[in-house]
Amino acid sequence: MSTDDDMREALDTFVTEARDLVQQLEEGLLDLEVRPAAADTVNTVFRAAHTLKGSSGLFGLRHLVQFTHVVETVLGSVREGDLEVSPGLVSALLPCADHIGTMIEGLAGGRLEPDAAQAAEGAALLAGLEPYLGDGPGATAVRHAEDAGAAPERSWRLSLRFGADCLRNGMDPLSFLRYLGSIGTVSRVSVDDSGLPAAEQMDPETCYLAFEAELLSGAPKEEIEAVFEFVREDSDIRIVPAEHQLDAYVRAIRAMPESDRVGDVLISSGAVTELEMAEALHIQQEQAVRSGTRPVPIGEILVEHGIVPRPIVDAALNRQRKTIETRSQDTQTIRIDAARLDRLIDLVGELVIAQSSTGLRAGAGGEAQSEVMRLVDEVRHSALALRMVPIGTTLRRFERVVRDVCVELGKEVSLVITGGDAEMDKALVERISDPLLHLVRNSLDHGIEAPAERRRHGKAAQGTLRLNAYHDAGNIVIEVGDDGRGLDREKILAKAVERGVVDADAVLTDAEVHDLIFEPGFSTASTVSSLSGRGVGMDVVRRNVTGLRGSIEVETTRGAGTTIRIRLPLTLAIIDGFLVGVGPSSFIVPLDRVTEIVELPSGPLGRDCMNLRGEVLPFIRLRDLFDIPGEPARRQSVVIVEQSGQRTGLVVDALLGELQTVIKPLGVLFSGLSCISGSTILGSGEIALILDVGPLVADHSEREHVRARRAA
Amino acid sequence: MAKTILIVDDSASVRQVVSIALKGAGYDVIAGVDGKDALAKLNGQRIHLIISDVNMPNMDGITFVAEARKLPAYKFTPIIMLTTESQEDKKRQAQAAGAKAWVTKPFQPEQMLSAVAKLIAP
Amino acid sequence: MSTRELRRIALDGELTIMTAAEQKERLLAALQGSGGLRVDLSGVEELDTAGLQILLLARREAARLDLPFELGAPAGNVAAVLALAGLAAEEE
Repeated sequence: MSTDDDMREALDTFVTEARDLVQQLEEGLLDLEVRPAAADTVNTVFRAAHTLKGSSGLFGLRHLVQFTHVVETVLGSVREGDLEVSPGLVSALLPCADHIGTMIEGLAGGRLEPDAAQAAEGAALLAGLEPYLGDGPGATAVRHAEDAGAAPERSWRLSLRFGADCLRNGMDPLSFLRYLGSIGTVSRVSVDDSGLPAAEQMDPETCYLAFEAELLSGAPKEEIEAVFEFVREDSDIRIVPAEHQLDAYVRAIRAMPESDRVGDVLISSGAVTELEMAEALHIQQEQAVRSGTRPVPIGEILVEHGIVPRPIVDAALNRQRKTIETRSQDTQTIRIDAARLDRLIDLVGELVIAQSSTGLRAGAGGEAQSEVMRLVDEVRHSALALRMVPIGTTLRRFERVVRDVCVELGKEVSLVITGGDAEMDKALVERISDPLLHLVRNSLDHGIEAPAERRRHGKAAQGTLRLNAYHDAGNIVIEVGDDGRGLDREKILAKAVERGVVDADAVLTDAEVHDLIFEPGFSTASTVSSLSGRGVGMDVVRRNVTGLRGSIEVETTRGAGTTIRIRLPLTLAIIDGFLVGVGPSSFIVPLDRVTEIVELPSGPLGRDCMNLRGEVLPFIRLRDLFDIPGEPARRQSVVIVEQSGQRTGLVVDALLGELQTVIKPLGVLFSGLSCISGSTILGSGEIALILDVGPLVADHSEREHVRARRAA
Repeated sequence: MAKTILIVDDSASVRQVVSIALKGAGYDVIAGVDGKDALAKLNGQRIHLIISDVNMPNMDGITFVAEARKLPAYKFTPIIMLTTESQEDKKRQAQAAGAKAWVTKPFQPEQMLSAVAKLIAP
Repeated sequence: MSTRELRRIALDGELTIMTAAEQKERLLAALQGSGGLRVDLSGVEELDTAGLQILLLARREAARLDLPFELGAPAGNVAAVLALAGLAAEEE
């Protein structure tokens, strides 16, 4: 059989295997759409992509390797927990699975490479995955091959002292030397046989020889190092820039960009590999532990162990010194494991609680006390700032969405992003991105008109979608605005009546009507397009936003456009609250919802409402709401809260003051309580429930509505 | 005289492609479908290098390597283990059994060729 | 001592770790009582580090006894290995 026949047969085998893998990939992705957190499925899907890439590599199917590499990278970040499964992600990946399937069928039909249309399709699909790719490496395997050869040749001095057991392990030093000849020119080889013992003691299966050689090669040091990877552990392998090249390294290091780590400078100069640096660091640590002294500078260790000549280390040290001297206010970043950060936030939370407990016990006296309070407050601010990330990255992901949706709908829309540097809690950024995606799609789908319609109305054919973010009074505000047709009051109202959401004769303000679009099951689009066919409505968006202790409002002008404004706290971890008591129970009202506090007027009142400066203010008796036994206090207070422009009073027994507190999520026991967002442990050890004002007020007014209707 | 390499893997496509690549580079290649099959093939011929997968039915790669090392003719034969990134512990076990070289799956034929070429000339 | 004859010995087959133990004994035995050694490598098909090590050991032993030691007529691939190790075979 000829090689071609062999290859043909192997390819057939591969096609069968690959069909199976593509199916696994597709089924897994569909499963993830339903169960986004299914770890086993994530694994299966990742492995399928991984194996597909591996086998394609075996056949040198470059297009498939490159394509599956990107898919695998995205799935890899899902597996690592760096990326969450979202509907957007699944719908970007599904066509990728189809594409791989098409390529495999092409292979079955004898086409090893994609045709132009398929290649274009592949490129478009990969571009769709771009938003999900971190800064990680792209198609490295392929790039390496292309880079090789471009590098200038460098001269290396190799000193190779092989382990005594290497021959017994089947590792032949001469074979490695011969292999070196395939990546460069080997010269001046000398054998050092001084290790050979007396004839009778010499074990013919033990390696006693050492070699010195010079290598001229364009390969990076890593590649030379890799020649010896199988014997590295037991051998002493030194690859050092040749003497006559030291000046070149020194010059290169002087010209390098700033860095304050000697190690980084040495590695990027190509004189030291990552592996060597890791080993040197290991030695450094071991020495320090053993001698109980301060660690020896890393440069000294590198020189001492013959990893790199002193002039190069000195040059790197100079570079470092200069960098430290010249650095003024350079922003430096480090990456931290998110879990460590969470632990710190947790601890700061405990600290805040403990501090409020000393505040409760000691009262507000004492200079030391206030200094501690100030410091704790600063620590809290700095700790929370660690979690803050700019929202811009998330907003920019929508560029792609807007482009694709426009193509699909035949609309022309330009996306304008402003305020991308506004920062918010990373956890919030992740959780707000799906609601935002829905709002963006909604604007494109229902808000912005088709070009022809826009021209009829005297507008520019190209619509504009604006994403804007800014900080406002301890909140972050994110706006999704379009210059489309605006909300149609009559249409919404008609629909609401039809759905029984409002009475036919109800008199509603514009704002109240516009708010109706957030009611469950409400949709004004007479036809459901493929984009909004995901069963997610504006009600889900609102639920998500209020779930994050945020609010959502809509501002619209008929014919001129709609802006949806989401207001969120900067973080979910800590809340500024107002502590109130009802009988033996304590509750915390989020401070940013409290507008004022008044005394409950004595004497008989109209049903749960009171007169506040001539206005009727409905109120809720927390005692009744939570069925707290016992008699109300003689003088009760009303904490007035505001939600979406609606004011409501909360009747409580005692006002216990402001405090900062860490939110602990509620257990399953309370999961049915929509008006409680969490709990916290007070300094006294008591548990206080944190009120979720949005649902609290909404539920109450709903009940009032029902009551009012019954009364009428 | 070309040197002989034994490739042991339960995946037919891996066996086929590795064979093609190695033959192209001038080696002779014989194949085994699992550890048991491979062990039987060790007898009666000179094999200069062994490439073995880890996970295989009948006899896994690590057991196979340990058994092969017991045979006088294969005491010092270079052995390449096919490992995966996530199997650092298997790689350790394989090394303890006597397979000191490895190629990480997935690999391209050139990667296999360069690992082999480091160990033996054709 | 130098009156004794230069002994010729021809090695064949593998000069590798597989045969190193026996080749070592052969070479050292041949050196004993000889007036020097000329090792004919033309029959050697394969040479590895273990084999090279044996040759180096024999050469050192010869030097210790102040005897001549020559390597001769290696086949192509063995000559290449010797050259790689910086040991060219001497011409006869």
